Amino acid sequence: MTAIEVQGLEREFKGGVKAVQGIDLAVGEGEIYAFLGPNGAGKTTTVRMLTTLLRPTGGRALVAGHDVAKEAAAVRRQIGVALQEAALDPLMSGHELMRLQATLHGLPRAEGRRRADALVERVGLGYAKDRRVGTYSGGMRRRLDLGMALVHEPRVLFLDEPTTGLDPSSRAAIWDEVRRLNDEGTTVFLTTQYLEEADQLADRVGIIDDGRMAIEGTPAALKAQVGQPHLDVCLTDGANDHAEGVLARFGEVRPGIEGVHFQVTLAGGAGDIAPVVRALDEAGLAVAQLNLVNPTLDDVFLAETGRHLEGDQDTGEVAALSLESG
Amino acid sequence: MSALALELSTIGVLMRRALNEILRVPGAAIPGILAPSLFMLGLTGAFGALTELTGFSTESYISFILPVSLMQAAGFAGAATGVNTVRDIELGWFDRLYLAPTPRPALLAGIVLSAGFRALLPMTAVLAIGLLLGAHWPGVPGLLIAILLALTFSAVSASWTVGLALRFRTQAAAPLMQASMFIAVLFTTSYAPLELLTGWLQTVASINPVTQVVEGVRQGFVEGVSFAGTWPALVVLAVLLGLTFAFALRGLATTGR
Repeated sequence: MTAIEVQGLEREFKGGVKAVQGIDLAVGEGEIYAFLGPNGAGKTTTVRMLTTLLRPTGGRALVAGHDVAKEAAAVRRQIGVALQEAALDPLMSGHELMRLQATLHGLPRAEGRRRADALVERVGLGYAKDRRVGTYSGGMRRRLDLGMALVHEPRVLFLDEPTTGLDPSSRAAIWDEVRRLNDEGTTVFLTTQYLEEADQLADRVGIIDDGRMAIEGTPAALKAQVGQPHLDVCLTDGANDHAEGVLARFGEVRPGIEGVHFQVTLAGGAGDIAPVVRALDEAGLAVAQLNLVNPTLDDVFLAETGRHLEGDQDTGEVAALSLESG
Repeated sequence: MSALALELSTIGVLMRRALNEILRVPGAAIPGILAPSLFMLGLTGAFGALTELTGFSTESYISFILPVSLMQAAGFAGAATGVNTVRDIELGWFDRLYLAPTPRPALLAGIVLSAGFRALLPMTAVLAIGLLLGAHWPGVPGLLIAILLALTFSAVSASWTVGLALRFRTQAAAPLMQASMFIAVLFTTSYAPLELLTGWLQTVASINPVTQVVEGVRQGFVEGVSFAGTWPALVVLAVLLGLTFAFALRGLATTGR
């Protein structure tokens, strides 16, 4: 069953700025879908349309089976939303805000209080629930915002850059909670600039650029499209004349700097690492450093658009293995 | 939860939030008390002798001007609701309200009625200062009518300024919100009876519907309440509230278009 179905979605702002230009996508029930793209690509505009905050100027979007333009109230009953800036009243306590959210979503008072009690504990804010939100850290505010989005037990959860600006431990806490929610059956649509976030969380990734869907698929499939993993081989100084020949047995070789650094595409994947090491050893070549480099979603974006994703805080490559000797 | 219960709960929860703001940041009410109080004291000092002119229905200028200060206090409290709405839009809080499945009129009613809470504090302060400085006691009916009319005026002001907030969506619109309320009250019979006004001000005051409201609030302080002195104010306020509420509701409905 489809939780989100989008066909030719468009949004043109006054002045002719086309932020979203005909997006098609479908998100299955119980899926985590990451919408990845650089700043200004159209991620937030798309989320605002899917959550009824912004009216599409073209195309059609169904969320939980309801048209976002024609059945906005029905959509709102089925979705939970945590937007980029956690919009929280600093004068209210976490628990008061939870109860306010419960009331806004039509829960009876006793039920709202029960859910608020449970959710502040679930997002790890039980110890601070009676403190004013103005005293919360950024991570606490995001967790509260996430909890508030869950108060009416939505079918589909939209998270707009849920971990932007958070420290690694707060980011990990949000990821854990997203996984737990998904395990319980909630469909999650999240936007992010972080490759690692999409890689870690998403069943499928859609990459948007300049308002258009650049590419879509599972992280593994997308990366496989870009190519095989390659091995960065750094040899110790010395007679390395025959190194290129040895490495060429395993795949395409790109010689690097000063005759000590080589890149070899592993035709046999990661399973070729041990044979490469043995071959180099048998050829009397001493390895200073060996890194297995897997293709990343940034490589996928680069291959599709010719540009790197901005705002990414990762290193740009996933080093699955790093061997150093000497 | 039934639809009516949901709407009432929404209104209640938004009014409670406004009450929170008043109780947790009491200092924010000071400008709303100071401005109309200083206006009342200053005008009484400068123009107190005007009541010796034929045409004034009272010999006490502070009794004449106190109702205007009550209206200003109510109008500015309503305008503060508009300014706060812009702040909520800019901070993203308004998105939270907009994402709720609650009917839009209930959301708006909660915001508009919360202006009443904001108005009560400055109105009480202005009334106390005026009475302490010698304004006539209007009697319980006169006081209740004055409070009812002024609070309704604050709701009109809130609806108008929330409508502006939803259209401009920026704090830059705040002066327009405050100025429109100031002008609406000023260009009436606020300083002197209609017969004593001259030129364009007399013309404007005679067609400005807020004049009826000022006279309705004022009646108990200067000559006693009557049905004839009350119903024009009620009709004007009902019409203004209907128009401004529709204006704000239209702004809410077109949000995101």
